[in-house]
Amino acid sequence: MRIRSVLGASAVLLLTSASLAFAQTDCKTLVPPSPWGPNDQTGATNRITPAVTKAAAAEIQEGKVVVMSYPLVDGVPLFGSRFTKTILTATSLAPGGAYGENQLTYMEDTWLSQSHVGTHLDGMGHIGRKDCYFNQIAMGKFINQNNMTKLGLEHLKSFATRGVVIDMVKVFQAAGKLKTNAACRKPCLDGGTLITTADLQAGLRMYNVTLREGDIVVIHTGWGDLFEQFPKQNAVYNSAAPGIGKDAAKWLVSQKVVAVGTDTWVVEVIPSEDPKEAFPVHNILLTDNGIHIIENVRTDLIAAEAAATNRATFFFSMTVPKAVGLTGNFVAIEGIR
Amino acid sequence: MTQNTAPALREGRRRFCLTLLAAPLAGASLLAALPAHGQERRYTIAFANLTEEPGVTLEGTGFTGGEIRSGFALAARKLPVEVLFYDNQRDGKKAQANAEDAIARKVDLYVLYCQDPDANAAIAARLKAAGIPILAVNHPVPGAPLYTVDNLAAGRIAGEALGQFAARSWRGQPTVAVIVGPVEARVDRVPERVQGVVEGLRAKLPGVKPVTLDTQGNPARVGALLGKYLAAHPGAKVLVAATDDTTALAAKSALEQAGRASDAAIASHGVDRTIHGGINDKKEIDPNNRGSIVIGSVAFYMDRYGYDVLPLALRMLRGEPVPPRTATRHLFITAANVFVEYPPYDMN
Repeated sequence: MRIRSVLGASAVLLLTSASLAFAQTDCKTLVPPSPWGPNDQTGATNRITPAVTKAAAAEIQEGKVVVMSYPLVDGVPLFGSRFTKTILTATSLAPGGAYGENQLTYMEDTWLSQSHVGTHLDGMGHIGRKDCYFNQIAMGKFINQNNMTKLGLEHLKSFATRGVVIDMVKVFQAAGKLKTNAACRKPCLDGGTLITTADLQAGLRMYNVTLREGDIVVIHTGWGDLFEQFPKQNAVYNSAAPGIGKDAAKWLVSQKVVAVGTDTWVVEVIPSEDPKEAFPVHNILLTDNGIHIIENVRTDLIAAEAAATNRATFFFSMTVPKAVGLTGNFVAIEGIR
Repeated sequence: MTQNTAPALREGRRRFCLTLLAAPLAGASLLAALPAHGQERRYTIAFANLTEEPGVTLEGTGFTGGEIRSGFALAARKLPVEVLFYDNQRDGKKAQANAEDAIARKVDLYVLYCQDPDANAAIAARLKAAGIPILAVNHPVPGAPLYTVDNLAAGRIAGEALGQFAARSWRGQPTVAVIVGPVEARVDRVPERVQGVVEGLRAKLPGVKPVTLDTQGNPARVGALLGKYLAAHPGAKVLVAATDDTTALAAKSALEQAGRASDAAIASHGVDRTIHGGINDKKEIDPNNRGSIVIGSVAFYMDRYGYDVLPLALRMLRGEPVPPRTATRHLFITAANVFVEYPPYDMN
């Protein structure tokens, strides 16, 4: 009896470990391991050490705060079937609704929204290859109907680091190759414009900046002007985007950045370089390297600030809620100079 | 085109001519394409489109000239080429005038999409005299490699898909087959497509005798033509090969109106935006619409011509051999593979 039990338990163990081994082997062929170890769920924010934050603080020289996120409001361009709707509860303002002799009243909101709206961060649970996500995690085992049980935003460290704005409008103007979009009120790169490694490097040279480990790169394309014209230009904004290609993404990976943000809905070039690939830069940055993507970043003000002062670096301040098990969330960003 | 770049282009073409002379010498062509510092030079390639008139569809499909142009522009982004676009306006004289302009601009290579054989011959002679190589699209040009749709192969794919569907789903039941669309449109070589469908059907269902219903290019006629046919075959299962996607959707509507949708399967040709599309478009071919009687459509990829044609042109410019005829790789697109072949990126 005992032998039978042991054999049975061994068989179960073997089957279990075999199925685990199969899933892991499968994801090992699709996604590289995290450089921070097999249990890592933090990704590139591991790079933001106290030393990195301290060095970034040197960017705060005038105390000037530059807004880098758009207002969250119904009607802004949304990706695909996403929606957002706010409902105000103000019942205590009705006659007789106030509380106590002090006539206290209150209001609050119900905010129905998907998480990837407005200026938002893509977490590592956002994008995978089949069911394989960052650090070879087979996410099929770690999801339920409410959230993920791995790779949620609660695992991220601080984003208090140096930001570097790269002004692609200036780069393309200087190279005489700017093709703007008629719907943009200010110069912008047109949808489908491919930003290469050489373009990024040219933008860094303009301000004599060398990227360093732990930086967050913010790319100004001018496309965000269409976002600001919501809802009038929502269809144009969503139809395409200027952005980085695969080579540029790999170069940014090699620079050990923490996140890449742009004033588009997607960071990468749309339509993609290869029409048969779906959002390949998302795979390169998020799935393969744990580098975050920040979309719909308001870049025009920080780009103008850089142009006015000939300094493209700043202290990057971003609040990411510890939203357990979420794939992403709207964020507030400020560039502090 | 700027004056600054013209000398470089002239030098490039002189190199190309030298390359042709030296073609038997292995490696010479590559050297000719490479400047002294080892980086490949950029080429100027002209693409003279058949037409860019809005709403005009090409080759008996739902694709427009604008979509073809856009495909060239997108494909050029990663290649060392500048594309100079011309619109031939479906007019031989305009096509010749465009070629003259390209000669004056000293382009490195000319991609010609023109249905007029006389104009094509004249343009070929002029460009040859100017030392500019030509690549023909869909319609032959004397002495030029041809990139083209393969209507016969596409038709066979659709016919075989329908035959396989009937063999799998309707085994032993009386089955008829119709081919509907502008079946006589010779300028678009639709009869080749029809022949392919017949061959494909017979390969899988030897007993079936397909009937053609000619809409003469007017999809509004599908309802009447198909309705009459369905009434004459009340108890039969019906295989419908539509020559294009618009016709396929019209056939689906006709079958539904006749109450015969459950008796039918439709295969189409083209895979244009009427049948697949952006993330929020109502897509006939969609993983969320697997029950559609439109079981699939044969891809013509005309919106991606640039991704095939420009690399061919670069091979010519580098002096590498190219086949005299290169055909589009046609594939049957269904709900199972549409997102692989056409991942939606338009988020509206």
